[in-house]
Amino acid sequence: MPIDAKVVHQVATLARLHVDPSEEPRLVKELTAILSYVEQLQALDVSGIEPTSQVGEGAKAPLREDQVKPCDVRDEALAQAPDRDGDYFRVPQVV
Amino acid sequence: MSRKPDVLETAESIGHAVRKRERSAVEVARVFVERAERSAPRLQTYLHRDAERTLAMAADVDRRVQAGETLSPLAGVPIALKDNLCTHGVPTTCGSRILEGYLPPYDAHVVERLRAAGAVFTGKTNCDEFAMGSSTENSAYFPTRNPWDLERVPGGSSGGSAATVAALEASLSLGSDTGGSVRQPAAFCGVFGLKPTYGAVSRYGLVAFASSLDQIGPFARTARDVALLFNEICGRDERDMTSRAEAKPIDLEGLERGVKGMKIGIPRDLLSDGVDPEISASLDRVTKTLREEGAVVIDVTLPHARYSIATYYLIAPAEASSNLARYDGVRYGFRAKSEDLQTMYASTRGKGFGREVRRRILLGTYALSAGYYDAYYLRAMKVRTLVRRDFDQALQLTDAILLPTTPTPPFKLGEKVDDPLAMYLNDIFSIPASLAGAPALSFPSGKTRSGLPIGLQLVGKPFEEGTLLRVARTWEKKSGDPLGVPPIVNGGGRA
Repeated sequence: MPIDAKVVHQVATLARLHVDPSEEPRLVKELTAILSYVEQLQALDVSGIEPTSQVGEGAKAPLREDQVKPCDVRDEALAQAPDRDGDYFRVPQVV
Repeated sequence: MSRKPDVLETAESIGHAVRKRERSAVEVARVFVERAERSAPRLQTYLHRDAERTLAMAADVDRRVQAGETLSPLAGVPIALKDNLCTHGVPTTCGSRILEGYLPPYDAHVVERLRAAGAVFTGKTNCDEFAMGSSTENSAYFPTRNPWDLERVPGGSSGGSAATVAALEASLSLGSDTGGSVRQPAAFCGVFGLKPTYGAVSRYGLVAFASSLDQIGPFARTARDVALLFNEICGRDERDMTSRAEAKPIDLEGLERGVKGMKIGIPRDLLSDGVDPEISASLDRVTKTLREEGAVVIDVTLPHARYSIATYYLIAPAEASSNLARYDGVRYGFRAKSEDLQTMYASTRGKGFGREVRRRILLGTYALSAGYYDAYYLRAMKVRTLVRRDFDQALQLTDAILLPTTPTPPFKLGEKVDDPLAMYLNDIFSIPASLAGAPALSFPSGKTRSGLPIGLQLVGKPFEEGTLLRVARTWEKKSGDPLGVPPIVNGGGRA
């Protein structure tokens, strides 16, 4: 499907990313160029090929004992909050 | 003509001098801090630099020396950190407005290791926003300049880390490499840059970009110095489940053994078009030298490597769109003022992220969205398997693959910034090894006629970083000091 302003708008909504309408024409052009470049992958026969999502043994999650460890960063972590109320992160109205 | 090296030119000799009490760590740190004070404002290498903190760390090393502690080879060595490595209480922005003012409550694994080793941090280096870029022009703050020609880019995304070592503002540095972000700036700045095997170094505390590709890697001025820094940071850490115990320190003396009998492959099929003639000539010179030193150089093929850029620019943005979902303005960093939560998210992200990051989030979201997943993301992961197999086969026949790091010497600031695809195509030689998870090293191989650095790349088998450094060390010894130091170190430099 070709990329147009409507598609950019839909994808931006999915990504929770505000895109100014004035930016849309440029994004349509750039994303179209990139997607037509990656089209070359369609020419390859990948039937029967396993996908690589991760290289090496990392693909298998190693397990360890579940242990309680101290993690005493609450005050420092909360100090980074753009807005807080005591020990809570404060956000604008949800509903 | 080779110069007599100064004690302060290599990390190895600095560490030695500090441990032997021939130089104090504070004395060493002062030299580097003063150099940075002269050149860093012109090169724009740092996002955050705190000379007092640097000197305090050095003073602490001197106390440990005085107390007779057994110290690591990196004790007292000035090291710069890319600004996507978390440093406790020290700003970490990833070159992004969305993390402006962020103070991490913890150190990255590699930062912990270096602190314990007695390294002296010079500061946090500039980079393309969230490590997305090949020129450091995507930093939300300012671009970094190439120490060899201030009108040119240092490469990216770890451009600040490469430039600061080239300009001797730091003895070593760490960057991160997802598709070439250590190797390409190393080549552009005339220093060594290693992307370790996927899993060799824990990424705990590295701000995530594309988790199936991200690796932390060292920059240095010599092959031996690369090994010293790698040795300090490699190995298993339970906080990164991909990190592996197979990642073992490199034996430095092993690097001196030469290349006699080693097999080196050149992927001629990949080099058939679009390599700058001066870079090709440099590749030929190095090949000739390695042959003279007893290596067997053969042609190998990597038939799917030419699909790497297309594969990478689906996989990396897809992973990035997921990883960067965490920047929502709730817990840390920048928040845009807004009356309701959904608008706050969208507006925070729209204003907080720069152009390239927004572009990649949109691309990744599109590639992962219903109806496109199979055609784009899943297909890209399958092609990634084909690229890996190419490397497995080529490395069954050889000990290392030799190719250029970049198709061209460093380009000018502004030259590619408005054409994202042209910028991406510059990564053609670095991305294949990233997809394969293989270790890859860029080493300085010479200069163009106009005096710009040229870098070549060696790719090896998993956890064989030492083999790559051994080959590069052989060339380094034969070539002497092909680059020297850029004029800006002594107060000169164009522009």
